[in-house]
Amino acid sequence: MIVCLAVVGHQNNPLYIQSFTEADDALKLHHMVHCSVDVIDERVDNPKKSGPTINETFLGLLCPTENYKVYGYLTNTKVKFILVTTDLDVRDADMRTFFRRFHAAYVDAVSNPFHVPGKKITSKTFAERVATIVKSFGLTTTG
Amino acid sequence: MASFLPQFQSIKTSFDHVVLAVEDVTDLWPVVKKGFEERLPFKRAFLNNKTRNPVLVDELPAEFILTTDARLRSRFPQEQSLFWFREPYATIVLVTCEDLDEFKNILKPRLKLIVQNDEREWFIVFVSKAPAHNDQATKMAKKVYARLEVDFNSKKRERCCKLDLHGPDANFWEDLEAKIMECIRNTLDRRIQFYEEEIRKLSEQRFMPVWNFCNFFILKESLAFMFEIAHLHEDALREYDELELCYLETVNVAGKQRDFGGVDRGDDQAMLLDPGRKALTQIVQDDSFREFEFRQYLFACQAKLLFKLSRPFEAASRGYSFIISFSKALALQESILPFCMREVWVITACLALSNATASLYKDGLAAPDVEKEFYRVQGELYNLCRTKFMRLGYLIGYGSDIERSPVNSASLSMLPWPKPAVWPTLPSDASTEVLAKEKMVLQESPRPKHFGIQRKPLPLEPSVLLREANRRRASLSAGNVFELFDGRPNSNDSSGLVSPLPKGNAISMTRNLSTPGGFEGSIDRPMRLAEIYVAAEHALRNTISDENLWKSLSSIQEFEQKYLDLSKGAANSYHRSWWKRHGVVLDGEIAAVYHKHENYDIAANLYEKVCALYAGEGWENLLAEVLPNLAECQKILNDQAGYLSSCVKLLSLDRGLFLTKERQAFQSEVVRLAHSEMEHPVPLDVSSLITFSGNQGPPVELCDGDPGTLSVTLWSGFPDDITLESLSLTLTATNNADEGAKAITSSEAIILRPGRNNITLSLPPQKPGSYVLGVLTGKIGQLRFRSHSFSKGGPADTDDFMSYEKPTRPILQVAKPRSLVDLAAAVSSALLMNESQWVGIIIRPINYSLKGAVLYIDTGPGLRIEETYGIEIEKHDVRSQNRANLDNLPGNPSPLSEVKQLTLEDGKIKLPDWTSNITSVLWIPLQAVSDGLPKGTPAGTAPQRQSVVDGLRTIALKLDFGVCHNQTFEKTIAVHFTDPFHVSMRVVDKCNDGTLLLQVILQSQVKASLEIQDALLDLQDGFAHAGKGDGRPASSFFPLIVSPQSRAGIMFSICLSETPAKDDERESCPDSILNIKYTISGSRNLGAHVPVAEELTGPDNHQAGHLTFRSALVLQRPVLDPCVAVGFLPLPSSGLRVGQLVTMKWRVERLKDPEENVASENLDEVLYDVNVNSENWMIAGRKRGYVSLPTKPGSRIVISILCLPLVAGYVRPPQLGLPDINGANISCNPPGPHLVCVLPPALSSSYCIPA
Repeated sequence: MIVCLAVVGHQNNPLYIQSFTEADDALKLHHMVHCSVDVIDERVDNPKKSGPTINETFLGLLCPTENYKVYGYLTNTKVKFILVTTDLDVRDADMRTFFRRFHAAYVDAVSNPFHVPGKKITSKTFAERVATIVKSFGLTTTG
Repeated sequence: MASFLPQFQSIKTSFDHVVLAVEDVTDLWPVVKKGFEERLPFKRAFLNNKTRNPVLVDELPAEFILTTDARLRSRFPQEQSLFWFREPYATIVLVTCEDLDEFKNILKPRLKLIVQNDEREWFIVFVSKAPAHNDQATKMAKKVYARLEVDFNSKKRERCCKLDLHGPDANFWEDLEAKIMECIRNTLDRRIQFYEEEIRKLSEQRFMPVWNFCNFFILKESLAFMFEIAHLHEDALREYDELELCYLETVNVAGKQRDFGGVDRGDDQAMLLDPGRKALTQIVQDDSFREFEFRQYLFACQAKLLFKLSRPFEAASRGYSFIISFSKALALQESILPFCMREVWVITACLALSNATASLYKDGLAAPDVEKEFYRVQGELYNLCRTKFMRLGYLIGYGSDIERSPVNSASLSMLPWPKPAVWPTLPSDASTEVLAKEKMVLQESPRPKHFGIQRKPLPLEPSVLLREANRRRASLSAGNVFELFDGRPNSNDSSGLVSPLPKGNAISMTRNLSTPGGFEGSIDRPMRLAEIYVAAEHALRNTISDENLWKSLSSIQEFEQKYLDLSKGAANSYHRSWWKRHGVVLDGEIAAVYHKHENYDIAANLYEKVCALYAGEGWENLLAEVLPNLAECQKILNDQAGYLSSCVKLLSLDRGLFLTKERQAFQSEVVRLAHSEMEHPVPLDVSSLITFSGNQGPPVELCDGDPGTLSVTLWSGFPDDITLESLSLTLTATNNADEGAKAITSSEAIILRPGRNNITLSLPPQKPGSYVLGVLTGKIGQLRFRSHSFSKGGPADTDDFMSYEKPTRPILQVAKPRSLVDLAAAVSSALLMNESQWVGIIIRPINYSLKGAVLYIDTGPGLRIEETYGIEIEKHDVRSQNRANLDNLPGNPSPLSEVKQLTLEDGKIKLPDWTSNITSVLWIPLQAVSDGLPKGTPAGTAPQRQSVVDGLRTIALKLDFGVCHNQTFEKTIAVHFTDPFHVSMRVVDKCNDGTLLLQVILQSQVKASLEIQDALLDLQDGFAHAGKGDGRPASSFFPLIVSPQSRAGIMFSICLSETPAKDDERESCPDSILNIKYTISGSRNLGAHVPVAEELTGPDNHQAGHLTFRSALVLQRPVLDPCVAVGFLPLPSSGLRVGQLVTMKWRVERLKDPEENVASENLDEVLYDVNVNSENWMIAGRKRGYVSLPTKPGSRIVISILCLPLVAGYVRPPQLGLPDINGANISCNPPGPHLVCVLPPALSSSYCIPA
């Protein structure tokens, strides 16, 4: 299950962060996302390590912890998408597809002339669309 | 083959170097042993690795063992092949011989026997005992050695070398080492080949039922071990890696249920760095290896090699992955393992690994990025350890001591509870412990947060422990009954809701339940939280064999200490890695512990780091969690500046993050501090809280020098009204960066409401330019604050409250100095002299309001204001000025301009407001005063016009206007006054009867129509009117209308009279006076007009409407009449020259007797006066004096004056005047010249004449 989805700006500021848990514990997810930025920074700053994937937007698994996984995605404008999931076996291909769809939604949201670049995304349409994407992700992986 | 395992293990432990066999044929070993062993260990050996590539081994330990040694004897052949790695790698045959025959017959066959075993690598060392001085012996030895070489060397390989015991041995040792190396290399190659072959054969059967991992393991590890003793660690490591891979591939083959292991006492302590902890025999069970022990064993071997290779960082990172994957394996087996075995194992593994790697790692050992990676792994290890440790602590009831921070929540609430087959039960003798725990549970209360902030605490548990524990108890069916027993299932959750009364009930209830004997029943009824804690504690005590770890869990203090150590370890490691955020966040956890223990100083420092991290990147939700803690520390530390700034930051966070009540608390703290006596008042930056912007729309435009008001919008982020004691705002000129910003200030207190406020500030005059808003400063209480933040017409975006964006839109524009108003006279033509006339002053504002303007009027000399009459003002009608326009619009009647009366007070007039934006004309009644009478001129002569200056009068005007009467405009206006007529006259005709016809010509000088009503000529002495003699003109055709600029003539008939005038007045008036009564009709807009007084009295009073103009006329008597004639005698014909004396001569001749009226005693004397310009002439002689002139007619006299011309050119000659005699009585005959020509001085020729 995807528990959290975040968009982090190129100055590492949160632009959109949405948790999909029922418990009132969004703060810990904020923390996870925030700390994951460390990993993305590390990869971006050390292109040597990431090797051939340098030009790829999908960053793959960021934090392989025992209990949850964090995936990252970096757009060309250095905006980061971070996803926290409790599914422990997710195929990378699914993740890629998910992020691609999410990226499309993001691009639509920031193309809104009323959106100020670098500011939080407050669009309801975006939120709804993201919720749909998240929901459908659960379906494709479990079903 | 498993039976070989113990032997294998013992060999491994006792054997760690290469063995070289020494076949001592002729008992030489004791002699050469020292020399041989000195070469050990071998330096810089080149060996071949598994891929036949040469590898440089820095140091190769070896041992020489005689073949007769017990260690090399009595081995079974099977053993030999299996543990081949311990067989000698070379055989060195030591021989000596001094006799060729002996060699041939005895030694050679023996040697052949020794070396016939082809499997061994051998060579012969021939030792020559011949002393150096004994040539015979040396020769012999050489011969024998040569023979030896012939017999044993082959083409491919030399197998002999010679050691001279008494001779030079320079090359021998190198030769020996080279030969030994060659042997070792060859042996090694052969053995590798052998092992590989065996292993290949075995691995082909890997998936067959007959396959035995144990055999494979022994072979593989033998190979690895052989590499290890040859110091080919890299290859050894590869073997172990392959072994591990192979193991993992085959260990979990379905259908083979194996014992996992890990149930022995002490297994909870990880042995991932200690390969020898458990004997291999203990690991093996039924020909297979127990996963728990064997995987650790394999990793331990790998780690050992990595340490030998000086790669602790690799050991750490491999170790971390190993721990993670092993922990997963443990999780699968959790039901058969002791309670919390997995957690304990991870803790010990992490600690062991991080300690071992850290102690072996030296800074600078690896490249910087490897180092960072190493510290990251260290941090990860500590962090993992910390998480598991917290979990254990929670299980035994220390949960309340674990900060419910996002970090801890993230790591703990996602971590499932341990899943033992059966949850540990409560031991029967634990009632006192349960009571103690219960007390602890009840006493714990969450530390109240500063500012009364209340938040739902973050979970530390994946699900309610009470439910989870009871669900896993074998004897209990699922149900929620247990929740009734404990009012606090989630220790901190509902603390705010539980009132003291239910608490008391809970206590009594639990007491009841825990009465002696009640514990037996605990099997059946659900366990309470305290019981769960105690049960877990007991179970853990059984699991944990490590005393230190158990000690750390034994009391809250120990727990906290360990928790702090682990947090610090993790934070410090992360700080040295790429993962700064992880480190800083853990600093926050450390701070929380210090905070709890009232070590506020350290806590504040650490909190500050955390806050800076969150604030810097705008993670407000997280910041909101930490910042109140920092504020509390700062408050306790009395760090007022820090506390204030924290409060301000709290206020500036997103509104949704705090309740209004809490925000009000922040504000009240700010206000309280601001009004208190601060020791060190600090400027406060409220950029995030109070933002400002100019009003929408175009900027305020001001003229130079004008003050104004500036309306500014302030957005207050305070939840309540806040009073600002003062406020000032700087304006920055956009065009001139050098000039410092100027502040405009509002000194009175301003109360800011939350949200939008409009503030109006008065603006002193500014320099021209355009201005943008700069900085807002002000005071709250004693506290100065600043705000740099410019809002774009909305509340400050919380996103970028750290960025100070400079506004670019100008708020104020001050225009360059320009004329704002113009004053001008309304007429250009002349007005009537000596009459009160309206003088119009056009006041024209130039795009500027004249509201409240005051005009100061100061009339110059010869002009006075007729104060009795009012001053009028009216709208200026441009069309009256511009005829062309009027002609174009004939049908448009000129609107009656409204005329308003104004009064003059102290020389100033306040202009009415309605004139403030329109051009208006101010009419002032003025009278120009001229004393003298105008003089008529003889007609025909060049009309000597009155000098313009004579009629010119000036009015100095000063207009004070502008918003604060700050603008002044001064102008002096010239107004031209003139007489209505210019009078000239001539005698038109002289009749025979002596009547003269005198024509008086009147030239109108004004732009108005003049109507002459009457004219009267008062004649001077010597003249009389002919005819009626009333002084009226000869023909009466009055009224006579004279149009502007036109002329009129009036004829008077006069005659000469001898009789003196009767009136005294006449005597005093030597000139004739022309009196003209006239009326004028003209527009004041154009020029002369009806005088003010007349206008006021109205047209009905006809008589009074007549104006009088008087002009003096000089009439000259006819030529014969003069009594004196003055004649200028001709000048010398040579002309005048500068510097040359000349005599001016005038002849004065009396023509007739002096008249009676020229009363004078000295009638025979005449007063003369030479009138001369002293710049042009120098006079020698008396300029003024009396000359005698007899009274008899015809008497004459010549007056001579010696003159010296001073200036060349046409100059006016001296004139002779007779002051005593009336001008009319003087005839000039011949008249003097007007100008004479004076030549320049003659050239001085004295130098030019040739001698």
